Order: sequence, then structure tokens, then C-alpha cells
Amino acid sequence: MAVTTAPVRPSEPGRRPDAGRRAGLDRALPWLLLLPAAITLGLVSIYPIYAGVHASLTTYLYGRPVAGAGLKNYTDTWHDPVFWQAMEVTLKFVLIAVTVETVLGLGLALLVANVVRGARWIRMSILAPMTVAPVVVGVIWRLIYESETGFVNPLFTSLGLGAPNVLSHEGSAFFGLVLVDVWEWTPLLFLICLAGLQSIPQEPLEAAAVDGAGPVRLFFNHTLPLLLPVLAVGVVLRLIDAVGTFDQIFVLTRGGPGTATQLISIYAYNTAFNFTDYGHGAAMLIALLAFALLLVLVALSLMRRAAKRVAQ
Amino acid sequence: MKRAGRYARWAAIVLVIFGSLFPFLWMLSVSLKRQVDIFGGPSLPKQPTLSNYTALFTQYHFGAYLVNSILIVGASVLASLLIGTPAAYALARFKLPGGLNSQALFAALLVRMVPPILLVVPFYIILAKFGLLNTRLGLILLYTGINTSFVIWIMQSFLAEIPTDIEDAALVDGDSRLSALRRIILPLASSGLAATAIFAVITTYNDFLIALTMTSTPAAQTVPVGISTLIGKIQVEWGPMAAGGIIGALPILIFAFIVQRHFVRGMTLGAVK
Repeated sequence: MAVTTAPVRPSEPGRRPDAGRRAGLDRALPWLLLLPAAITLGLVSIYPIYAGVHASLTTYLYGRPVAGAGLKNYTDTWHDPVFWQAMEVTLKFVLIAVTVETVLGLGLALLVANVVRGARWIRMSILAPMTVAPVVVGVIWRLIYESETGFVNPLFTSLGLGAPNVLSHEGSAFFGLVLVDVWEWTPLLFLICLAGLQSIPQEPLEAAAVDGAGPVRLFFNHTLPLLLPVLAVGVVLRLIDAVGTFDQIFVLTRGGPGTATQLISIYAYNTAFNFTDYGHGAAMLIALLAFALLLVLVALSLMRRAAKRVAQ
Repeated sequence: MKRAGRYARWAAIVLVIFGSLFPFLWMLSVSLKRQVDIFGGPSLPKQPTLSNYTALFTQYHFGAYLVNSILIVGASVLASLLIGTPAAYALARFKLPGGLNSQALFAALLVRMVPPILLVVPFYIILAKFGLLNTRLGLILLYTGINTSFVIWIMQSFLAEIPTDIEDAALVDGDSRLSALRRIILPLASSGLAATAIFAVITTYNDFLIALTMTSTPAAQTVPVGISTLIGKIQVEWGPMAAGGIIGALPILIFAFIVQRHFVRGMTLGAVK
């Protein structure tokens, strides 16, 4: 990643008769090139955030703004037990899923890092789940879990364990969704670890191996520290993304049974669009946005540091 | 001993690939089954049929969903490339005052990083205000904005990799900046540009939440939303749903295979190459 910009060499002045005019144009050029993008980004970021904050300070009745609310939507949210329960489900979901994905992704990367034969096909097969739409991922696992179409129930029954009906019980539904997330996103951490492993210089490793270091010590003393900056970027990107998980859950359980899989995204969506209470929905999302922005800032500083490390 | 280790490694790899691909094959198998066989327990399709696929188009508006998806994805990706690439070039080649380069880049990245759920309520309110709910134009505008941030960020890193020497030589020879950009930089950046475009296509085609909240009829609904309409409150159309999943997945798998070399870069927002 190159954040630094190349040094700019001014075009030679006085070479051609229209050089003066051209130098003026060259000076204005970067701003002219940036302008359309600046307007576009302003329209999809600054204006929506303003509109969102405004909505969070408004009382809606049947989808229509009826009065200013002050901070009422926020204090309501703060005192709403369902909101906190959704927060808890979200945190549990994100932490468990991302931890498992990181460990598995790293393990997988170590497994195939030195494989040359068929590497392209192996990589493509492993990353297939993360390329397709999350809705499709939801559909795939619905077909697998559901008693009518799936193989999970028949499999467990034939082993004499009884049909689990994964999506109908609170505990199994939650872990069923974690498994779906792991299937979908372990490939991302695998790819990141693989790219990191392949950029690590081999000579120090070989020297340490000659000195008699075993593979486990080699990994913890040499490979892991070098991999860490890249791995950290991947983990934080995944964390940010996981906080907003919505599509798969919408297709699989819509937050149920009960509220066992009701992530904050599902709860806010239902509040805003099923109950047309945009005020409370917006307040929840603004609160979550603040949390996500914090994660984003961590991600950005990690990315900068990783870039510097690579540049050295 | 060494050989045993190698066999164990390959056994593990085969197992992982199986776990990764088997769910896709399961969906494919359900999509080719007749209604009676779907409820007959796990088995291969006894009499493979395409009836689920034809049902999608004759009963469930998939023709309209596909047309919407293609138009919306095409227009928004094209627009975001046209808006984002010049900005990326400016950030890669000119030193702006006050360290504006990196600040502008990170501001662009922010838009892309924030999960869409956090923006749907304001997006909805804005589109409602301008009468753009349930229109293709409304979705095109939103996706153009989101994709532009991605294009700036990724194209900037592709462009910064192109050595400045060639360009400088052209400038000395009397080319203007713009004609140097057109004659020299764009051809050199074409593979990066193609990868960026394909990434934008994949994420836009796959988006569900924004399309779900901004649309309500097949006049503007996209393929992922169309798939979700097959899940009724009481009854789920398993066969067509599986077929819809295949239609949703297939073009993306092909695209992903094409950009495989750039995949890490696109998916990690350029943090890893």
C-alpha cells in the first residue's frame, strides 16, 4: 500500500509559447480532477450523516416526522432492555466468529503456503464462499439446516443423535449462524495470512532452522511476529464488517427464535422499517456508528503502520 | 515419515476444499430436483429438471430482477470509475498542500468501510425526499457514491505503482498532463482498472440491504432482493430459492476467478497485496 505520493516535478517552463497558460492549468488540474469525487462523496457521507442525526432527534409516528424529540430517542434506547440484549448478542457473535476465523485462517494458510501444485485451484476453491452474495450464503445454509431440504437432520438421526433442528432452538440457532459466518469469512483471513506468509523473507527462518529451532519455536519466534501487522489489519477489517452482519441472518432466522440471533443490525432494521420508527432506529445506528468509527480509526492506524513496515 | 506428513497435508487440503464447496453442490442439487424429490430426504436428483429455473422467470419476475441488477450495477460502476479515477490520479501524482493527500484518501476509505446498515435510515429518508424510492436511479446514485470511495482508494494504489519517469518524459516532450494521462497512464493502469471495476461489480451485485430497503416492487428490485422474496412468512419455495441462489452465485464466481490475482488487494482495501 502506497499512501505516500510521488514527488512532483513541474513541467519545464519556457519550453513552448503557451507554457504560461499550461502551467496555470497544471496548477488547477488536481483540484479539477478531485472536484466531482468530492461532491459525490459529500452526498453519500456527509449529507446522510447529517440526515441521520436529524432523524435521531425527531419523533416519528407511522413513518412521519411529527415533532422534535431532543435527546429522547437516545435516552429511550439507553433504557431499552432489548437494545442491550441485541448488543450482547452482537458482541458475542462478533467475538466468537472472528476469533475462530482468525485461528482457522492462519492454520489454513500455514497448511497451503508451500503447496505449489494446483495452488491456483486450491486458493479459488477455498475463497469461493466469500465471493458470493451474503444472501446466497444464507440461502445455501437454510437449505442445509432446514428439516425439509437439509442433510443435517438426517445425518444426526442416522448417527442415533436425534434431529437437532438447528434453527429452531436458541442455542443451536446462534451457533448455527456463527458456523455460517465462519464458513463465509475464514477465507478472507486465510488470504491475508497467505499473502503475509509469502512476503516474509525466508533466510532468517532457514538460519534459525539450521541452528536447531523446531517448527513450533520457529513459528512463534519468527513467523508470527512478522505476520502480526498484516494479520491485525485483517482482524480489524473483519470486526468492522461483522458488526454490520445482516443479510445472512435476515434469510436464515430474522433474529429468532425469540431474540436469540437478533443482532443490533436486525433490531435497528426492524425498528426503522417494520415499525417505521425512524427516530429510534436512527438513534441506535448513530450510537453504533460512533463505535464502528472507533474501530475504523484503529484499522486505519494499523494499516498505516503495516504500510510503513512493508516500506522499510 | 516425511512422506506420511505430505499425505496428511493433502488429506487436510482435500477435506477443507470439500467443506468449502460441498454446500454449493448441495444447493445445486436441490435446484435440480422436482418438488416431490425435495421432500424425499437427502439424495441426488432422481430426475434432474430445470423447472425451478424456468419457474423463476415465468412466475417470480427474475427476468426483471436480472435486468435491474445489470442496469444498476453497470451504470453505477461506470459512473464511479469516471468520477473516481481522475481523483485517484490527482492524489497519486500531485502533492496537495497541508497533507491533504492522505487525509482525502482516508476520508474516501471511511465511506466504504462503514457497514451499510449504519447508513440505510438516512439513505431512505433522503431518497424519500426526492421521490427516488423504488427507482433504479435512486439505487444507481447510492451505489455510485459508495463505489467511488472504493475506486479512489484502490486506483490510487495502482496508479502510485506506475513509475513517474515515463510520464515526465512525455511532459518534457510537450504533452499536456491530460494527454499524458490518456496516452501513457491509462494503458499502463488498465489491468488495475479492470480489477477495480470487477471488484465494484461484485460488491454492488451482491448488495442486499440497501436494495432491500430502497425498493418494494420488481420495478427496481435486484437479484438478491428477488431471492429473498421467495422466503414467505408461511411457505418457502425451496426449489426456486435454490435455483435463484445458483443464478446469484454463478456470475460472481466467474468474475472472482478472473480477478483472483488481485483478490486480496480488493478485499482488504489494499492493505495487503
